[in-house]
Amino acid sequence: METLGIFKDVETATRAVDGLVKAGFSEETITSLTSAPYPDGVIVKTDQRTWFRWMSMAGGIFGACAGFLLAAGTAYVYPVQTGDKPIIAYFPTGIVTYELTMLFSMLGAIVGMFVEMKLPPRKERPYDPAIADGFIGISVSVSAGDQTNRAESLLKESGALRITREETP
Amino acid sequence: MSEPEHALAAKSAVQLNDEMLSSMRTPTWRWYGLAFFLGAVVAWGISAFTYQMMTDLSVTGLDRPVMWGIYIANFVFWVGLSHSGTMVSAILRLSQANWRRPILRAAEAMTVFSITVAGLFPVIHLGRNWVVYYFMPYPNQRGLWPNFRSPLLWDATAITTYIIGSSLFLYLGMLPDLAVVRDRASGWRKKIYAILAMGWRGTAREWVVFRKASTLMAALIIPVAVSVHSIVAWDFSVTVVPGWHSTIFPPYFVIGAITSGVAAVITLMIIIRRVFHLEEYLTPLHFDNMGKLLLVICLLWAYAYFVEVQTTWYAHEPIEWEVWSFMAGKYTPFLILMLISNAVLPIFALCFKKIRRSVKAMLVITVLINIAMFIERYLIIVPSLSHKNMPFIWGSYSPSWVELSVTAAAFCGFTLMYVLFAKFFPMVAVTDVRELGVRHSDIRLGRTEVHTISEEE
Repeated sequence: METLGIFKDVETATRAVDGLVKAGFSEETITSLTSAPYPDGVIVKTDQRTWFRWMSMAGGIFGACAGFLLAAGTAYVYPVQTGDKPIIAYFPTGIVTYELTMLFSMLGAIVGMFVEMKLPPRKERPYDPAIADGFIGISVSVSAGDQTNRAESLLKESGALRITREETP
Repeated sequence: MSEPEHALAAKSAVQLNDEMLSSMRTPTWRWYGLAFFLGAVVAWGISAFTYQMMTDLSVTGLDRPVMWGIYIANFVFWVGLSHSGTMVSAILRLSQANWRRPILRAAEAMTVFSITVAGLFPVIHLGRNWVVYYFMPYPNQRGLWPNFRSPLLWDATAITTYIIGSSLFLYLGMLPDLAVVRDRASGWRKKIYAILAMGWRGTAREWVVFRKASTLMAALIIPVAVSVHSIVAWDFSVTVVPGWHSTIFPPYFVIGAITSGVAAVITLMIIIRRVFHLEEYLTPLHFDNMGKLLLVICLLWAYAYFVEVQTTWYAHEPIEWEVWSFMAGKYTPFLILMLISNAVLPIFALCFKKIRRSVKAMLVITVLINIAMFIERYLIIVPSLSHKNMPFIWGSYSPSWVELSVTAAAFCGFTLMYVLFAKFFPMVAVTDVRELGVRHSDIRLGRTEVHTISEEE
């Protein structure tokens, strides 16, 4: 279950994060919600590793195969003999293969990015539109109900302007 | 960190949002008037095209031996214009140039709209437009199959890739901004922006993935941009038409495209700055830096043109020289205007910081560059086709009212798309600019205090 506290500035938000960590909440369960990107560690520490680029690469490999099959495969299946030229034309096959490789790489990157971000979400998550106007959200994800109450009171103590809770199904 | 950036960093998030999203306020009568005018010209162009379709290509100025005219000049021009938007944005993103931030959106949007306009011209140019689907590569009962050896099919593939890639790049950059707009909107607009924002909340993890995706997309889109204009150049250079069959064409076209695109980005920056009162965001510093970039590109263009002409002149190969002499003789005023506007004027003027920082001077220079680039496309196409064969089949070409109407509609259509975009989407990359604020700090260094921006390794 996710609990979100809204803070008016970075200082109070970081105080809240420090308070939560001291109280035993692990860094992985805490995240910040901001409308501008802060350098890692300013508010929370996040895992910097990503895997979505593999999807881009997979897209590229798929695109290369698709492009090759489209250009070379078509020429092979529907042969058109032009003088002594080869049935499968090298340059055109290369160009079509290249373009489709790049196209599917880009599509793979975007799809992978959304999958890794888990967007669009399957259920509604706590959020506050004030974040767009520079307010900072500190969110804690915990499973047990009493931990949620503890996180909520810690956020309030640190100066949270308001608290939003994920609705239980 | 420059002074203008420091001034932005001092503003509150609400203030920055208000100012940067000002283009999305309720339209004024002037906006409606402009949109109506542009729409009317587009409607006129569509009716001219319909007339062409209902009659045949005899209503155009096209005739043997010149079967590629102003439509193809338009195609090459608009592809060229599209080139730089995404490319400039991608290069500046990859190089982490902080001054890029207010420019990104204008550049990326320009690419999408100009490549859309460009994509229409091969279809408009067709004799039988209603069977355009014959282009599509799928097995069919007609016994027709697109010829993969034709550069025109490479064009179709490359342009499709570029339209999709540029649109994704534009959308990716807008994602956090769409969330800001969603949070400030109400009613039906809120619902639409909520769908477009895909549930973005701005978690630390989302920002990590977003940044890496932006960098990856920037790295992927640059080679696509280069390939698109190289392929457009191959439309010409793989033929054996004198004046076209040249190995320098692909790099020359790419350089020309960047020249045209950078100039157009500056022109649009000036217009956007004036119309939406974004003087604090698009400062003389931005024009100065873009001016330096334009200077380098103009020098490259002048070098490439010199190499092309010098090789022709030195070889003096009769048929090549005939085409060049015909072009220089019949189109002298155009040729001179092109050389002055594309090379002499910008190379001289942009050496001076005062001119680079003058908005009015930059407007004149950049508009002239794009007029010259259109002329350049025309002079590549028409003279070569006019005198490519034996003298008894030499001919000439001048565009008809139908072609000129469609050309005017293309320019107005591009502007109309931009005008509509500015009303519905943020014209300045809001979160990119605001990032400066959160990364800025003043530190004491020796006897003075300096403004700094933190960057991650």
